[in-house]
Amino acid sequence: MLKVALSGLRTNKVRLALTSIAIIIGVAFVAGSFVLTDTISARFDALLGDISAGTDVYVRGMDPDFGNDFGQLIVSMPEETLDGVLEVDGVAAAEATVDGIAQVIGTDGEPLGGQGPPTLATSWVANEQLSSLRIKEGNGRAPEGPGEVVLDVGTAESAGFTVGDEIGIVFNGPVETYRLVGLASFGDEDNLAGATLAVFDIRESQRALDLEGRISSIAVAAAPDVTADELVARIDPVLPDMAMAITVADANAEQSEEISQALGFLTIGLLAFAAIAVFVGAFIISNTFRIIIAQRTRELALLRAIGATGSQVTRMVVVEALIIALVSSAIGVIIGIGLAVMLQVFLRSIGFGLPEGPLTVLPRTIIVGMLVGVIVTVVSSILPARKAARIPPVAAMSEVLSTPTRKSLRTRAIWGLAILAVGVVSLGVGLFLSVSNAIWFVAIGALTVFIGVSILAPLFAGPITSVLGWPLPKLFGVPGTLAKQNTQRQPRRTASTASALMIGVALVVFVAIFGASIKTSVASALGDVFGADLTISSSNFATGVSPRFTEELRAAPEIGEVSALGFTQAKVEDEVYTVTAIEPATISGLIAVGVSDEDLADMAASDGLLISVAEPDYESWIGRTVPVEMPNGVTAPGTIVGTFDVENFGAFFITRERYATGFETVSDSLVVARAADGVSVADAQAAAIEVATPYPSLEVQTTSEVLADAEMQIDQLLAIFSALLGLAIIIAVLGITNTLALSIIERTREIGLLRAIGMVRRQVRRMIRWEAVIIAVFGAILGIGTGILLGWAVVRSLADQGLETFTVPFGQLFVYIVIAAVAGVIAAIYPARRAAKLNILEAISYE
Amino acid sequence: MSDTAVRVSDAVKTYGEGEAAVTALRGVTADFAAGRFTAIMGPSGSGKSTLLHCMAGLDSLNSGTVHLGETELGSLSDKDLTILRRDQVGFVFQAFNLVSTLSAQDNILLPLAIAGEKPDQEWYDEVIEAVGLGDRLTHRPSELSGGQQQRVAAARALVTRPKIVFADEPSGNLDSRSGAELLDFMRHAVDNFGQTIVMVTHDPFAASHADRVIFLDDGHIVSELHDPSAEEILDMMKTLGD
Repeated sequence: MLKVALSGLRTNKVRLALTSIAIIIGVAFVAGSFVLTDTISARFDALLGDISAGTDVYVRGMDPDFGNDFGQLIVSMPEETLDGVLEVDGVAAAEATVDGIAQVIGTDGEPLGGQGPPTLATSWVANEQLSSLRIKEGNGRAPEGPGEVVLDVGTAESAGFTVGDEIGIVFNGPVETYRLVGLASFGDEDNLAGATLAVFDIRESQRALDLEGRISSIAVAAAPDVTADELVARIDPVLPDMAMAITVADANAEQSEEISQALGFLTIGLLAFAAIAVFVGAFIISNTFRIIIAQRTRELALLRAIGATGSQVTRMVVVEALIIALVSSAIGVIIGIGLAVMLQVFLRSIGFGLPEGPLTVLPRTIIVGMLVGVIVTVVSSILPARKAARIPPVAAMSEVLSTPTRKSLRTRAIWGLAILAVGVVSLGVGLFLSVSNAIWFVAIGALTVFIGVSILAPLFAGPITSVLGWPLPKLFGVPGTLAKQNTQRQPRRTASTASALMIGVALVVFVAIFGASIKTSVASALGDVFGADLTISSSNFATGVSPRFTEELRAAPEIGEVSALGFTQAKVEDEVYTVTAIEPATISGLIAVGVSDEDLADMAASDGLLISVAEPDYESWIGRTVPVEMPNGVTAPGTIVGTFDVENFGAFFITRERYATGFETVSDSLVVARAADGVSVADAQAAAIEVATPYPSLEVQTTSEVLADAEMQIDQLLAIFSALLGLAIIIAVLGITNTLALSIIERTREIGLLRAIGMVRRQVRRMIRWEAVIIAVFGAILGIGTGILLGWAVVRSLADQGLETFTVPFGQLFVYIVIAAVAGVIAAIYPARRAAKLNILEAISYE
Repeated sequence: MSDTAVRVSDAVKTYGEGEAAVTALRGVTADFAAGRFTAIMGPSGSGKSTLLHCMAGLDSLNSGTVHLGETELGSLSDKDLTILRRDQVGFVFQAFNLVSTLSAQDNILLPLAIAGEKPDQEWYDEVIEAVGLGDRLTHRPSELSGGQQQRVAAARALVTRPKIVFADEPSGNLDSRSGAELLDFMRHAVDNFGQTIVMVTHDPFAASHADRVIFLDDGHIVSELHDPSAEEILDMMKTLGD
């Protein structure tokens, strides 16, 4: 039987090649995402190990209660801490660094790096054993004293700086000028993942970062007979409250964990697209096998007639599938490795350069990739294979092939509705009930909905294609009539081909609806909340807006009210919350925060707090006096004097005075301002830009610019998603090509007849093309319907998180239908050409 | 009635190349009179089907000419040939003559529909009456018997009033009664409508419906009979050693 299976594969080469593309793409995404993640981890691990080779223990100032997914909040400690550490028995060497944020100004006057990778400042570590930086021969020297800076080689090269240049650097204030005296490398690397690094002498670092008398961390080398763990235990007792010691191994592990987490979105995204590609692929595989088996009915019946059992026939089909799966999965894995290389280039282009090194292809990657391909293909082939087994031997002799009966449609309706119901319930549970793993309920629900719709689709295929095909006979005569009728010939085939397209379209529609709803919600939220004319923020979130700038802005005659806001974390009573620092005196006219004037006055008078009405049980807090701890450990009691009612500003409002106690370097996250009476917004903006000139990282935007910015960011995100989902649509288009190519083989004789009695090639092509268009538009309609359902469910479920409007972008949906029709035309190119080129005589006598 | 519908001169047709080359026609010259029913007979491999295909513009000659009326087929492009088939030629094949998604009536009107033309209602009624399908015109091919399907095909071949109808073993797949009905219908078309028909067959009974029978062997015309009986044809075939 293996021989028969192999001969079947040989004769169906083209169709199987089309089928395997779906598997290849899916497997490539799976393998690619694994290779990329593994490579990134391996390279960073190697680099971290390399640059910390001489260090055994780090001491850093921090409060383990604070921080978020992207790392712990680092705070400084008194510089005397170093003296204490040096006295610990077993410390061979120790040196302090002073770290912070500094933006290097490029030759164009704009800060390098922008909102992307971090822009770091640190101090030079003289002890080579403890330093993670090296200055290679010919790259200058270490910074000594004020006015000197060293940059990492990568940043200097990309900005076009050479040793000896004067460069501008921004800390939390106006630009300062430095002379570039050296270029540093991290081990062998020129740059660390796109970050910019400015290195100063330690005193200069303290001065520039407003950290006089403070240090950020201490690198410690252990004496030969002391282990790192022992040393941590010995150092800890001499440290102040806000500092802790950690072994380098633990610190590195923490860092690579942070890197993996930061890249988690990428991995999850890639795997999600892999899953979609594989899922769409499964439809195409199943469809292809079903058609091939239908075409080989007589051959399979003959095998049965001469004594093959039903299970042998099943096995034969599954073996065919297995062979295709193995070959295309292997190709998929190889392409996946290529994909990882391409993604690396892409990451570098968006400023996230990876350290140099080999690609990491773990056995796990190959095994999972192969398994995914093989399992999906074989499972997709099982239903058609079992159908093949049910072909009666007598079919070998009979002229007319059996057609599906009405009865099966009824069963289909029941099954389809049942599966659809399961999907909807799973979606509902994931979206509206608070379960853990909600995302899985949603994903599986969506998947099940797709399967349910695809099972039901053949029931609608007849009516919908009639309606879609209705104008064709009038417009295109016989080719139009035949195109329309061909789509109705095998409703199941039409429906399952369209279903593959439905998935991609549904997801794109979902993204479009989600995006449109977010945009409407953001616009209405911003419109409701923002009374300010101008918003000033830093292009680098970490540096924020300098208070010096805010004072200067207040002094400008064109500017009316000005209010600064700071976003941070604080421990209120015993839990860490996101809090917003406000200026109670000025905020009410600029941002509609939903606070009574009385509460604002109380807050200002008593250095009190306000609680969000979104917090559970918020009423019970009012009037209480609780300890409020800032990230640097400064704790002071505060009374909760009232409530505020605005979203996305955290759980509590604190005063800006309290906020200022939490940092050595105070900077605001956002400053909002209004034009002075009688001054136009444009003039006020011009004045504010003038004030901001010495602060290159600051951006002065009008409220409508802020809104446009937000919309643009949403649009960009949507565009990326849509582009990736477009891949699913491309796979589905291949599916249409495949189905048509197979259908044409079935209809060879009929096409031959049409050509013989006078249909010209153009008419044949037109017939096939319109059939494809109907299938594609049918798929798009199914997809739009399903996508609207998904979009509605998800948007509704997020209603309490500020997503208040459900917006269907009808114009965009119409564009999708047009795109689907064009995709149909493209899908038909190859089959139409083949059909038109059929040799009439051979076609007429085709068996 | 003595006009020539098709004229074949020195027709040579070779398939394949070199050693494997098979010559199907070795210089055939023949005239097919308008308004007559001509049968082409001959053993398997005699070239009779090739001759028919070349006359119908489905295949091309290596040398020699085919004139359909005044038109020389060899000079036509694929598109012009197709349009010529559509407008001037009717076909009845051995099997699978019909488009399965179309009703019998739509199948009959198909060549006109492809050309985007309206049927001549009077002529259509006459053809329909002669073909004798009655109430089965709205049925799909799968709901018709083999004989009915072939008569639909024959009606389709006639509906454009073609210069000539080519039939390739039209009764080959039919039982003898259905076959006879089909052949009677074709005879009727020649006698009453003045239709020109050229039919390839190896069935002496079928050929006996023709006015003239041409015998082909090994790519040559070897003999011909006029108004023959089935017995005469059978005798002739025996002498050709089929």
